[in-house]
This record gives sequence, structure tokens and C-alpha cells, in this order.
Amino acid sequence: MPAPVLRTAELTVTAGNRRLLESVTLEIPTGGVQGLIGPSGAGKTTLLKCLNRLAELTPGLRVEGQVFFQGRPLYRSGLNADDLRADVGILFQQPVVFPQTVLANVLFGVRHLGRAPRRDWPAVAEAALREAALWDEVKDRLHHPARRLSVGQQQRLCLARALATQPVVILMDEPTSALDPKSTETIEALIRHLGRRRTVVLVTHQPAQARRVCDRLAFLGVREGAGRVLRDGPTAEVLAATDIPEVRDYGSSRL
Amino acid sequence: MRRKAVHHLFRLATGVCAAAACGVFFLIVWAIASRGWAALSWRFFTEQIRLVGADGGIFYNLLGTLILLATALAASAPTATALALLHGVYLRHHPRPRRLLTLALTVLNGVPSILFGIFGLIVFVQWLGWGKSWLTGGLLLGFMILPTVTVSLMERIAGLPARYLEAAAGLGLTQSQIVRSVILPQSVGGLVTGSLLGLARAAGETAPIMFTATIFAGATVPNGIKENPVLSLPYHIFVLAQDSFDPAVGAKVWGTALVLLGVVFALSLLALPVRLKAHEEAREG
Repeated sequence: MPAPVLRTAELTVTAGNRRLLESVTLEIPTGGVQGLIGPSGAGKTTLLKCLNRLAELTPGLRVEGQVFFQGRPLYRSGLNADDLRADVGILFQQPVVFPQTVLANVLFGVRHLGRAPRRDWPAVAEAALREAALWDEVKDRLHHPARRLSVGQQQRLCLARALATQPVVILMDEPTSALDPKSTETIEALIRHLGRRRTVVLVTHQPAQARRVCDRLAFLGVREGAGRVLRDGPTAEVLAATDIPEVRDYGSSRL
Repeated sequence: MRRKAVHHLFRLATGVCAAAACGVFFLIVWAIASRGWAALSWRFFTEQIRLVGADGGIFYNLLGTLILLATALAASAPTATALALLHGVYLRHHPRPRRLLTLALTVLNGVPSILFGIFGLIVFVQWLGWGKSWLTGGLLLGFMILPTVTVSLMERIAGLPARYLEAAAGLGLTQSQIVRSVILPQSVGGLVTGSLLGLARAAGETAPIMFTATIFAGATVPNGIKENPVLSLPYHIFVLAQDSFDPAVGAKVWGTALVLLGVVFALSLLALPVRLKAHEEAREG
């Protein structure tokens, strides 16, 4: 297995008196698609947001334990969270486009992070939109409002915006939950394609989607009131782990 | 049966109240417009006051009021922006100072306008030795409308969808970049609306400026700060309305009142498109 790009060690997250995640230790290898699956309330999104320290923007959340990104500790280490988030991009459940043009949205991060000189911006935008499989659909509408795009196109635009800053890892929080089957298919193909060159961490509710897209899978379940990783490994192996009652129940209720 | 009767009674009471409010509004507009219309002419807008208000126009009064309003805007807009950011961003996770800030704004909003005048008289006119100055008047009007502008902006910032902030943070933008590129551009409508409504109120205020910034006659364009008062529309009306029984003056007073009403309407109307756009955005989510 390649060296992990992200690694959590005894990661515990609490909100007030409530434990959301308990002692999560997980290795996410460099490259490929790592899935996080499990029932609602198992802490999948919380875990995802701990990987780029976005969780700390939620008031009242306390993170204990550690997360390592390329071997460097993220918490209590003096590491700049903004720099980290530029390297570990995120795509949300619902597309979040800013009320600006398509082009302004793609370049939103690039413009502020100063990762490319201004003269390269058009090329950066085109490359990101091509990588997100959106270029052909929007190349004549770059200066149109981004909100006029369909929801599926908006989600790919958000992906292009994240890709434009050249992140090492892309976190995806159920990115197809708001999409129709056709758009879902497009995004899934994109995730598989992205996984060949980058590391993708995908939260999903659907075992079928995990099977289609993920190389590795971690199953999160709730035990003693807190979310825990109950099994981690190659996707097919995890989904076939009938010795774990939560996995068995989840699989039978979903398929 | 009783439920229906209460329903109709409630609707009737609402209608009567609305009609009364609109009636008073139209009565005021009609009273001022019908008496003041005759005074309006090109000369009225372009000439200065003559014969103690019985002749000439209100050019410098209108100019003075606009100078005071522009100064109030220049003083209140950046301060309100800073306060609203403090409330909505920098103190986001500090409820106690946030409450204190809200309380201070509420108290400031309730301060009678004459007290702003007394404050200005003591601090600016006497202590700083500015004498009567346009700058004092503008600053006092700026303080006075500060709560209106700040609260309007605060509400827009609070209403910003959290997903925008999360998306920007997720791209690696720093807090100050998020403020500049997401929060301010998307809440500037609140600043515009609050400023225009605040200025519409400030335009008619007499108490804060009568001891501090404005005189009845003899001032033109200010050329400094100290001892540089301006003429103004509300003070012009205030003095003429109580001191003069000359019918020629009466017509000019109504004319001046109509112009002041026009300034207030114009400011409120300017705010309208921004407010409508805000409602539209809120509907669209």
C-alpha cells in the first residue's frame, strides 16, 4: 500500500457533552479514491471536515487526537489552517457557487491564493474546467452568471474551482446527493478519473456507489453513542464483512 | 361564528390603521405640496436668501444640507462597516461583547437628537474650539445615523448563507480575504440601504446642527473647518416658521419644506432598488 497522504490517530470529536467520533485511526493512501460510508449520524462529514480543519469553524466542536497530512501533524502544531485547506480542497453536498460569473467562480481560489500569475489565469481556468468535464458546456458562457447553470453543472463548477488551486487531496461530502442519475453518472466518472492522479476522499451513503467508485472503504458505525470506524480496507472486502452486524444491516437495508 | 367575527374585526382594525397611516402621510404631502409648489422656480434653487427669507432662493441652504449629509455618510459608512464586521465576524464566537455592542447601538439609537446637539456644542464647538462648523454637524448626524446603518449591515451579514463562508474557507482563503471577497460584496446592499434611510432621517434634523453647524444667513461654501458654518434647509424652516409673519416668507417656508421633503423622498427611493434586490436574493436563496 502506498504511504498514507492523510492519517488520523485516535481522533475524537466532541460537541458539548456529545461524542461525535471516538478514537478514529485511519490511513488514507496517496492516490485513489477512499470512501467513507455508514449510517447518518456516524460522523462521516465530521471526520471529513477534520481532515482539512474545517471542523474548527463550527462553534463548540472539540477535536482531540491527531491528523497527519503528508506526515505533518495538523492539530496543535502551529500549522496554518488556511494553507492546509488550499492543499486539501473540499466539495460539499450542495453546490455552492458564488453570485458571480462562471469564470470568476473557477478563479475564486486561484485569485486569492496567488498560486498562479494573472497572465496564466485563463489557462488555469480552462485546464480546471476541462478536468471537471465542464469546458465544452461553458466555454461560450464563461462571463454568464454561474447560477444559471444546472445543479449538476454547478457541482462540476465547484469541483473545477477546487481543482484550479491544485490541491493534493479533494474531500467530497456526498457530492451526488442533490443530482439526477445522469449528473451522478458524470460526477462518478470524474471521481474515478481524478483518483488516478490525486487522492479523493468520498463520503457516500450508497454501497453501490462505493462499489463503482471507491478503491478503499472505511465503514463508520455508531457504537456506545459515538461514531467509530468499524472496518477499513478494499471496498469489496468491507462491503462483504458480514461478521460486523452494522455492515450487514446497512448493506441489506440499502441494496 | 365567533371565530369569523374576530377574523373580520381583526382585518377591519388592520385596514383602518393602514388607512390612517397612509391618510396622515398623504395629508402632510398634500399640505406641503399645495402651499409650497408656487414658490418653486429656477431662481428658488439657484439664488441665495435675500430680504430675511422673503425673497431669493435656497441655493446655499440646499448645498449646506447636502454637505452635512455627505459628511455624515463619510463618517458613518466606514465606522458602521467596522462595527458590523466586529459583530458578525470577529466577535462571532464571543456572545458577551456582541451583546454589549448591540446594546450600545440600541442606546445610541434612542438618544434624543437634542442631546447630540448639546454633546457637539460642548465637545466640538467649545472644547475643540471649532466654533460652528459644517464638520461638527456632519459628524453629529453621522453618529446619529450610525445605529441605523450598522444594524442594516449587521442584518445582511448575519443573513449571509454560511455555505458561502464555508466554501471560501474550504478553498484556503484567510479570514480577511473572506471578508473582502465574500462578506463585504454580498452585504454592501445593507450598507447602502441603511445609509440612505439614515440620511433621509438626518436630512430633516434641526436639533443636532442648530448650535453646532448651521446659521440662518451669511454662509456660503465652507473654506475650512473652524468657524465655518453652513446654511441648511431644516434650520431655515425652523427660524422662518417661528419668527416671521410676512406672507411672502410663508410661501418660501412651504417651498423650502417641499424641497426638504423631495430630498428625503429621493434618498428613500434610491434605497428602494437595493432593498428590492435584497428581497429577491433572499427569495432565491
